[in-house]
Amino acid sequence: MPAGAEVDVVVIGGGATGAGVLRDLAMRGLSATLVERGDFASGTSGRYHGLLHSGARYVESDPISARHCIEENAVLRRIAPGTIEPTGGYFVATPDDPDDYLDRFPAACAKAGIETEPVPLDELFRAEPLLSREIRAAYRVPDAALEPWELVDGTLNSAREHGATAHRYRAVIGFERDADGSVAAVMTRDTRTGEEETIACRAVVSAAGAWAGQIAELAGARLTMSPGKGSMLIFNRRFSTAVINRLAPPGDGDILVPVHTVCILGTTDITGEDPDDAVVTEEEISALLADGERLVPGISGARVLRAYAGSRPLYDADEVSGAASHDESREISRAHHVIDHGARDGVGGLWSIVGGKLTTYRLMARDVTDAVAAALGNDAPCRTADEPLPEPAGHSPYWLGDRLAAIEAEGGGDADLVCECELVTRQRLADALDRRADSSLDDLRRTTRLGMGPCQGAFCMPRAAAMLDARRADGRLHPAAPDANVALRSFAAERLRGTRPIAWGDQLTELFLTAGIFRGTLGTDALPEHTGGDDAAS
Amino acid sequence: MPRADVVVIGAGLSGLACAAELAGSGASVFLAAKGMASTHWTHGGLDVAAPDGASTSRDGIARLAGSAGHPYARMSDHVADAVAAHRARLDGTAVAMVGDLDMPLAPIPTALGALRPAAILPMGQGAAVGPWEGQGLLLLGIGHFRDSWVDYAARNLTAGAWPGGPAEIRAVTADLPGLDARNNLNARTLAVLFDDPAWRARALAAMAAVVPPGAWRIGVPAVLGLEAHAEIHAHAQEVLGGAVFEMPSLPPSVPGVRLFDELRRRITAAGGRIQVGFDVVEVERDGRRVRAIHTEAASRTLRLAADTFVLATGGIAGEGIRAHRGRRLEERVFGLPVTAPNDSEWFSDDPMQPHPIESLGIDVDDHLRPIDPTGQPVLENVRVIGSSLAGMRYLEQRCGDGVAITSAHVVARSLAARSAAA
Repeated sequence: MPAGAEVDVVVIGGGATGAGVLRDLAMRGLSATLVERGDFASGTSGRYHGLLHSGARYVESDPISARHCIEENAVLRRIAPGTIEPTGGYFVATPDDPDDYLDRFPAACAKAGIETEPVPLDELFRAEPLLSREIRAAYRVPDAALEPWELVDGTLNSAREHGATAHRYRAVIGFERDADGSVAAVMTRDTRTGEEETIACRAVVSAAGAWAGQIAELAGARLTMSPGKGSMLIFNRRFSTAVINRLAPPGDGDILVPVHTVCILGTTDITGEDPDDAVVTEEEISALLADGERLVPGISGARVLRAYAGSRPLYDADEVSGAASHDESREISRAHHVIDHGARDGVGGLWSIVGGKLTTYRLMARDVTDAVAAALGNDAPCRTADEPLPEPAGHSPYWLGDRLAAIEAEGGGDADLVCECELVTRQRLADALDRRADSSLDDLRRTTRLGMGPCQGAFCMPRAAAMLDARRADGRLHPAAPDANVALRSFAAERLRGTRPIAWGDQLTELFLTAGIFRGTLGTDALPEHTGGDDAAS
Repeated sequence: MPRADVVVIGAGLSGLACAAELAGSGASVFLAAKGMASTHWTHGGLDVAAPDGASTSRDGIARLAGSAGHPYARMSDHVADAVAAHRARLDGTAVAMVGDLDMPLAPIPTALGALRPAAILPMGQGAAVGPWEGQGLLLLGIGHFRDSWVDYAARNLTAGAWPGGPAEIRAVTADLPGLDARNNLNARTLAVLFDDPAWRARALAAMAAVVPPGAWRIGVPAVLGLEAHAEIHAHAQEVLGGAVFEMPSLPPSVPGVRLFDELRRRITAAGGRIQVGFDVVEVERDGRRVRAIHTEAASRTLRLAADTFVLATGGIAGEGIRAHRGRRLEERVFGLPVTAPNDSEWFSDDPMQPHPIESLGIDVDDHLRPIDPTGQPVLENVRVIGSSLAGMRYLEQRCGDGVAITSAHVVARSLAARSAAA
């Protein structure tokens, strides 16, 4: 290691891919640190439809991606079973779906190594009674529901066990480069305190996903991303027990994923310029619901809790292959690509990993880590597929059944629930704050599911804010963490953002009731900007 | 088949007040509602008018009456009478109101430690207003009650500006008997416990034990009993050694439940009938008149015929008006035209500030009959009251309760006069 270097590798981006790279580097014995500008898994990984792909979605459009998906599907079931609900999945053909695609589908799956099995319609409708009776064919595939926050958390914990470090709310603001152009250090800024820190390193992996173009530009390299906006709707309950896919070339509203107590209908695909501009439009919602009707008649009259959008980390195909340009982002390969900016742009020591799927995050990490390790003279093998992720401390907070069992053990119907919709106990929040004392309420949501149910935080927000405030008064909150009033306002704003696009029916009523509780009774419109010192409470 | 002079639809403050006044004047009244309403969600005080800058409720009424389309623009002359009638109904009960239209709107502390303007409050919250004159504010929380946040509230009240506020703000928490192992408590559960005299005596003793020496006005969670509230409140002031006021928090609202119970008693005592729990499923019309409504009932529907129908089903929050996808608004009982703001954006970005859409509702004429965009009554024997009315933003203007009881009073008086003439 050259003099002054603090770590071998800096990883940029705290989504699944960055966490996977950090873990892989650490398991190969390289020293590594990760920086993320927001909370971990708050970008594309957290704004995700919850699907562990079988790969069958891509058997025709993107066979490489399909093969990656089925291989990694098996790996994740082995190394991270606690993050997966084995729902199974179906591909179903509606009258609108093309015959020729239906005919080619089983063979294409077989070629990609994806097991399919035709399902008789009477059996399908017994298992999934809400599905449209116009469905004319169905195949079973090894899809499942995958919990992204838990996956990223487990991956980071594994990386930490192997000596790596990870920092959230740390944005990259520039690079120091040697005379030969290669990267020597990463300049970062704490987005909450403004404190700057330069991390000297031998190599940098940009796993910034849809934001990778911005990172490359900071380093003087060139990478044109072509982010694809994907919008999704969350319903207040499940309409199916298994994942339901349209048996058609990928299109809008083509998938319904049961996740926890809800289900997610996805996904639109719109090529966008700015990954931070992920606003769900009325047109997208109409398109999603119209297509959802073909799978589950009546779904457009059901209660939608939220709409949200993620930004796919797609790259411009010209960049990496020189192939002809595509107009539609869905036709750009989902398969990932490792870009060596030393060879391409004269910025040595910088690699970008772009494209890919959450399902293939480990494989993406392996491929870029192979390149970086080789360059650093490390020939240790990749072991990330062999060693399971650490089990979460205690039980998984995520599955409702686990939460119910824990609550029974803690006192049954008299458990100390802060969030009644998602059964989040005071102890659960306290544990999450013990682990990460710099958490905002929105960060706590990602680790506990606080405020993710039908009331979207109306009842739990003030309760949790009071907890944050008590901890701040006791000196148990990180100085950089937002105080309770700031946290309350930003959480409420975040919840409102997701509700606004679908503000009709019961959810609009909920929004009005929340406004009545907050402004009418609690006077939140006149809440001080910051909560006060601790001299008032005895 | 039940028949009544008047069928009132909706059991929020406006529907209850209207039915109580009508029943009291000798009219036959049937109140049908699909569920409990605003009383159970809100703070139980009487927000008459407190728009920005108003010094008193009367000043607030004048300011709001000056804005075209606000319900007060056609009713401001009746507010004082309506408040008097409402107070008369509640006098001598546990939900008797203190304060009046000419009292200065005073900032009162909320359970979260913000300040909201108020002047007319139920007796149990009355000590929150009035000059502090050197007294301290003691926030007395209840241990294991998840909706009591006195430390946080005290810190917020200390951090915010409170001109003329208390000399000192402190927070203390009392553990009440038998609650050590209890967590899943809501305000109503605690209120029921307080109704038990033996438990209450021990609970108040435990609360008294944490009150520090000094001259305090004491804010407590709004849980001081349902049926025995007046007695408990008096007992609490005696034992705790200072004026005690309740601070409403998350629903269910115990002050609101008390108000609902009292108004229901009034209605039934005067011969009115109440049915809560069933939606209106059919309307019989005869041209521009409604002959009858049908509600759900066990294994059948119930036909309710009347001379006049009073729509008190509320706006979006009360589910009297429902928004459908594509911004289509539906008044759910009669299909009346709904007026919404023209702004392309219905919401503000800040969840703590008013949203333009909050002013939506039904447009009415001077008799509070629903009108179409040309100003013609849509249904001649239907009256619209409470938060179904268009043109107000009741959270921002803090006028929802005043509009509810005033519109209820205007309608009840005109219908009573008519049935007396008949």
